[in-house]
Amino acid sequence: MEEKAKRTVRASVILAFVIIVIGLLINSRIQAYSLAPTSTPIELRGYPLWAIPIVYLYDYFSHGWICLLFAFTIAGIIYEFVPKEAITKYMGSSKVLGYGLALGMAPFLTVCSCTMVPLFGGVLYAGAGIGPAISFLLMAPAANILSILLTGELISWELAGVRIIASVTVALVAGIVISKTPWGKAVEKEHQVDSLASAAKVEIAKPPLDERLWSALKFGGYLAKQILPFFIMGLIAVGYLEAFLPEEIIKEYLTGVGGVLLASVLGGPLYTPTLVEIVLGRGIWVKEGVILSKGALLSWLMGQPYDIANALAVSRIVRWKVVLTYILIAWAGSVTFGLLYGVLSGSL
Amino acid sequence: MDENRGNVPTKEIRVEVIGPEPPCARCQAARKAVEKAAEKLKQSGVMVKVEKANIMSKEIVQKYGVLFSPAIAINGTVKIMGRVPNPGEVEKLLEEAAK
Repeated sequence: MEEKAKRTVRASVILAFVIIVIGLLINSRIQAYSLAPTSTPIELRGYPLWAIPIVYLYDYFSHGWICLLFAFTIAGIIYEFVPKEAITKYMGSSKVLGYGLALGMAPFLTVCSCTMVPLFGGVLYAGAGIGPAISFLLMAPAANILSILLTGELISWELAGVRIIASVTVALVAGIVISKTPWGKAVEKEHQVDSLASAAKVEIAKPPLDERLWSALKFGGYLAKQILPFFIMGLIAVGYLEAFLPEEIIKEYLTGVGGVLLASVLGGPLYTPTLVEIVLGRGIWVKEGVILSKGALLSWLMGQPYDIANALAVSRIVRWKVVLTYILIAWAGSVTFGLLYGVLSGSL
Repeated sequence: MDENRGNVPTKEIRVEVIGPEPPCARCQAARKAVEKAAEKLKQSGVMVKVEKANIMSKEIVQKYGVLFSPAIAINGTVKIMGRVPNPGEVEKLLEEAAK
């Protein structure tokens, strides 16, 4: 009985913490203050070189900590409580369901690439095949809770929404196209497991609520530990970019059709799965609250599915041809959506 | 008849810690938790054999289907998936398996 009471108390404390975190974010919305840095280039240039990162980081974290705390907490909670065994069970069952789950569930699974790649392999081997596997691989980093929240908070919610739509489309197209290519089919054939065990031997033990909540927070903390160092380095770079990258250069090279093309090419190699692309993108294109080219910024953000580290890990499972195909499709998608969004929103 | 005090363990529990190769940080943490729990159970006469399994091998996929890493299977049934358990939790699961 005492044990039970202890567990209830522990669960309540953690739940209270989560509610406070959500409340903080809602409050910041109601007060309508910016969670993004507010320093202007002129202000930043007024500081000595060594002080710029400190000023910029302070500027960011004094507002941004709420958003980051919220993002990591929620990512942890969702990851813990999303029914993982249901996902894995159905992901291997049929193609349509495989695509549906890859696109619908991937965003809720904020995972590092060391989880992503095995999942990719699992989906490929276990039946749904290469199409859903590729869709999942492209979708998860492009539109997970963390990246969408940060895109929304730091840049704009409109752009975050467009980013989701664009990512879904590109991931689906890439999956379907690759599953139709001869080399895609060859990989699928090579890896397909002949017969799955009739009854999957998975019976997940559910620990008590307090332990699950704690484990959710721990996972959020783990994600933060993985991501924040890169994120902070990105912010330091952005501090200098904001101070010294003249607006004229951005307007000259990084807007318009040429800007979209350049952004789509730069986005890939510069991408690390650490949300840095969001801060960098903001540092480059958002000047005093105005987005210089929504189209180019979208292309830049969409560069991430073809980052090199991920491609290397995946190329160990599938052949280079498959990797090149999806990189090409992801690139074409980022250019197409960049141009389309730029034209439609009148901000190319 | 006194199984519990005997020097010869009556049952051996087989635990597979399933993760990618090379192992990631969370899979190593999961393995440590399992080993800690196994060590404890050894003292009460339950033998636990801890193995590492590759999540990407055909054999594992054939057996368990798609998995989140790290996963922990006890006597051929996946009990934990996609998270790092604490040693106490693993111990409970192992005790259950020993029954």
